[in-house]
Amino acid sequence: MLVFLSTKVRVMRFNDAVLGTAFLLLAGVMIAITFSFPDFPGQNYGPNLFPRIIGGGIVGCSLLLMLREWRSGGRPILILADWARRPARLASFALMLASMVFYLVASEPLGFIPTAFLIQLGLFLWFGVCPLTALIVAVVMTAAVQYFFGSVMRVPLPRGILDSVL
Amino acid sequence: MTLITRRNVLKSAAAVGAAGLVTSPAIGQAKWPTRPVQMICPWGAGGGTDAVVRIVSALLEKSLGQPFNVVNRTGGSGVVGHSAIATGAPDGYTLGIITSEIAMMHHQGLTQLNPSSYTPLALMNSDPSGVQVKGDSPYKTIKDLADAIKAAPAGKMKASGTGQGGIWHLALIGWMLGMKLAPDHVAWAPSNGAAPAMQDLAAGGIDFVTCSVPEARAMLDAGRARSLAIMAAERNPQFKDVPTMKETLGIDFQVGSWRGIAGPQKLPENVAKIMNAELKTIYDSKEYKEFMDARGFTMIYADAAGFGTYMAESDKQMGVALTAGGLAKKPA
Amino acid sequence: MTAIYTAFGMVFDPTVLAVIMGSALFGMFVGAMPGLTATMATALLVPVTFFMAPVPALGAIVTATAMAIFAGDIPAAMLRMPGTPASAAYADESYEMTKKGQLDLAMGVNLVFSVLGGIFGVAILILLAPVLAEVAINFSSFEYFWLACLGLTCAVFIGTGDPLKGLLSLFIGLAFACVGIDPAAGQPRFTFGNIDLLSGINFIPTLIGMFAVSELLRGAVTMEKGGRSVPQAIGSLMTGVGAVFKKYWFNFLRGSMIGTVIGALPGAGADIASWVSYAVSKKTSKEPEKFGTGHIEGIVDATSANNSALGAAWIPALVFGIPGDSITAIVIGVLYMKGMNPGPTVFLQTPELIYAVFIIFIIANLLMFPLGWAAIKSAKQILRVPRNILLPVILIFCIVGSFAMTNSLYGVILMVAMGVFGWFLEEHGVPVAPLILGLVLGEMLEQNFMSSMIKADGSLFGFLSRPIAGTLGVATMGLWAFMAWRGVTSRPAPAMDQPSGA
Repeated sequence: MLVFLSTKVRVMRFNDAVLGTAFLLLAGVMIAITFSFPDFPGQNYGPNLFPRIIGGGIVGCSLLLMLREWRSGGRPILILADWARRPARLASFALMLASMVFYLVASEPLGFIPTAFLIQLGLFLWFGVCPLTALIVAVVMTAAVQYFFGSVMRVPLPRGILDSVL
Repeated sequence: MTLITRRNVLKSAAAVGAAGLVTSPAIGQAKWPTRPVQMICPWGAGGGTDAVVRIVSALLEKSLGQPFNVVNRTGGSGVVGHSAIATGAPDGYTLGIITSEIAMMHHQGLTQLNPSSYTPLALMNSDPSGVQVKGDSPYKTIKDLADAIKAAPAGKMKASGTGQGGIWHLALIGWMLGMKLAPDHVAWAPSNGAAPAMQDLAAGGIDFVTCSVPEARAMLDAGRARSLAIMAAERNPQFKDVPTMKETLGIDFQVGSWRGIAGPQKLPENVAKIMNAELKTIYDSKEYKEFMDARGFTMIYADAAGFGTYMAESDKQMGVALTAGGLAKKPA
Repeated sequence: MTAIYTAFGMVFDPTVLAVIMGSALFGMFVGAMPGLTATMATALLVPVTFFMAPVPALGAIVTATAMAIFAGDIPAAMLRMPGTPASAAYADESYEMTKKGQLDLAMGVNLVFSVLGGIFGVAILILLAPVLAEVAINFSSFEYFWLACLGLTCAVFIGTGDPLKGLLSLFIGLAFACVGIDPAAGQPRFTFGNIDLLSGINFIPTLIGMFAVSELLRGAVTMEKGGRSVPQAIGSLMTGVGAVFKKYWFNFLRGSMIGTVIGALPGAGADIASWVSYAVSKKTSKEPEKFGTGHIEGIVDATSANNSALGAAWIPALVFGIPGDSITAIVIGVLYMKGMNPGPTVFLQTPELIYAVFIIFIIANLLMFPLGWAAIKSAKQILRVPRNILLPVILIFCIVGSFAMTNSLYGVILMVAMGVFGWFLEEHGVPVAPLILGLVLGEMLEQNFMSSMIKADGSLFGFLSRPIAGTLGVATMGLWAFMAWRGVTSRPAPAMDQPSGA
């Protein structure tokens, strides 16, 4: 069986053989990259020593994980939570992630204030907060964070379109 | 990389926009600064460089009437902060403190940036390297130590002070070259800065430390270490008993960790002019002098043009030392 | 004696007391808010204290950090989002207690033992500073190498659930620590030409991502509209704390002792102290099988340890000007600024200032009790806020808390990336706490190994030739041998079906 739906898993879970393979490949790439590191002039050990030992450690753990999975025999490759096909919950997950990505993209051009306000408002409304409460909390929290961290503690939060006003 | 590029594009776009709005230079001259200025510091809060930029910023804030916010952009041996200054919008609202590392890192292939990537504003301080030994060390003078180094087989003696290829490593290389020895005649044990190196010295892990005297101060005061010489043209009035290397060994080698205020290339002329005058006033002020004396920092000043020349010379000197030590490489 | 009177006069000045109170509230708030950290509290205080008079400046730093280190336990217990790496060691344990409905006991114990541990550390600082400084100054790279090894070993002890996955997590953390400029040769590694990656993987945004952001992602999918967090019985914080003290007073003493000694070692600090003491507690416990299921014992050790380490970190800073941790690194800068040049002479030249610092330390730890009590009470109110309002607000704090560590978008990018990665790991039963420890210790391990190899001319015997290094080395290797023997003789843990943690 390849894919399995279960209530025991929160969202998704590959079996340990898949997990082991993924980390095995990553550790392989990591070790391969160390061959491009220069030597430490006059020393036996250079910048490549530690990444190789650590890469070796990850390889060892990955192999053991794979071995253990094979011995225990055939759990499904991917287990999905039984609700994973319910679009609303999946959308909540995606929206939480999307709002972080939105901050990364928008904070520099727009500035902290509009970005933080939009993220909060959007998430509040999606999660079913009453619109008035959502608006008030979003405004108050954005203003409080900007005032306390931006002005009092002088964290250089991006100013964006409000550059000339602030 | 894409991120940096995007940010640069945005910033330059903003700069172009600003330039378009403010067309008359007369308005520009009267109007700087009209909002808070970012002073970028490539080193961590609480350190020496941070202290210098904070006192300068505080005095600028007082006389120019706008906040000068110190922003620590640390990491990558200083590359991160130096890049942030160089790639900032040249509108006078992103300035910073640049340090001797900018004359070193491009030789090591860590960055493309070099002293000419900035608009120099003023050199504010330079701390020469000292040579420190353990408090109960048999080497009483720099001559004792120099003789012991010459007598020892290559690689026998160990020194530290900062990371591999850092400023105090170059001081060691320069000194070795001055004594006509191989640059790696004394092995360099890299450390995470001067304070851990001084501790390792006191713990008996290494033979001597090259770092500035103020960085070694607490250990010197505690009698756990002694300073034998400094690599400077003259003695530091704060530490009168420490001779220069020239007067004791006859080696005229000077190297120090310098700090100066600079902005990105193509800084507006009026900003540069205001800053030059302000920094000169600050340098001559009682507050600045008292502050620097309290920390034991050596004061040295050069105006914009002088700072440019100073950096170019420093760049050449570091290049020679780095190449001799086998630490230089062409940027990939 | 007059110096002590002068010191009291300096501290009990209305302005100074106001500054202490203000920074106490600030430290509590920043420490207790998920997404904001104790490290951030200190970093933000630097510009504020820079131009203050010496006593209020030092008072602000001492008070705010003491509060923040304790307050980091609050979101750890309530939301499984530790406020500091020092709380990460026992975040799971406290959260398990909360799930069992024992939030009050967990918080009461955290508060009481944080206060007691803090006072223990200060007492040692006052009484034994010069003596302990003598010990600390004998640590060179050889000793630090073994200390880092010992710290890593603790991660394996602590591991709940699947030890193999815990080990994997530790290695991933060590691998992350390799990113950036390598600590020995100064070569860039795994940076792919990116300037921000040159500065490495900053561990505060990683901590925020791994714990808080991954929790937000999980929270988003389980969001019941208007739903609330774990309901807790209304009770008194102090119920049961006395019994815990009676039963585990030795754990408190041992935790505080370990915290003080490790805290006094420059560069080690509260984080390692908390991990080591928790591991020691589990190793020597009569009921090790209860660890990880919401058992109070290890929390007593670890929460005493991280607060006692705070005072002890001032020992090398005051006596030799060597920073004990990232907080005292900033403190030393402030000391110079105020003309209190660190060194043994500081006790002779400006004794009144030193006494003032001691008095502030005691006040701060005493203040921690009522303020911590109030913070826990208000934090419980926060738990009553519907989760559909709470989670987006926490997200904003996470962003600001990560941003302030690098002062650039890089911190936020790191937080998001680590959040997704941490969520993925936890979905697969890989615990994230060992990863944080690997990241914290990675550079210390490599730096001291490489430096020692150079000093010993490439001979591995150098690692055992100094007395303290030899003792530590033999102890560490003995521990490894013991673990290997246990691993061979006992059956390997079976693969589990449930995701670990929660």
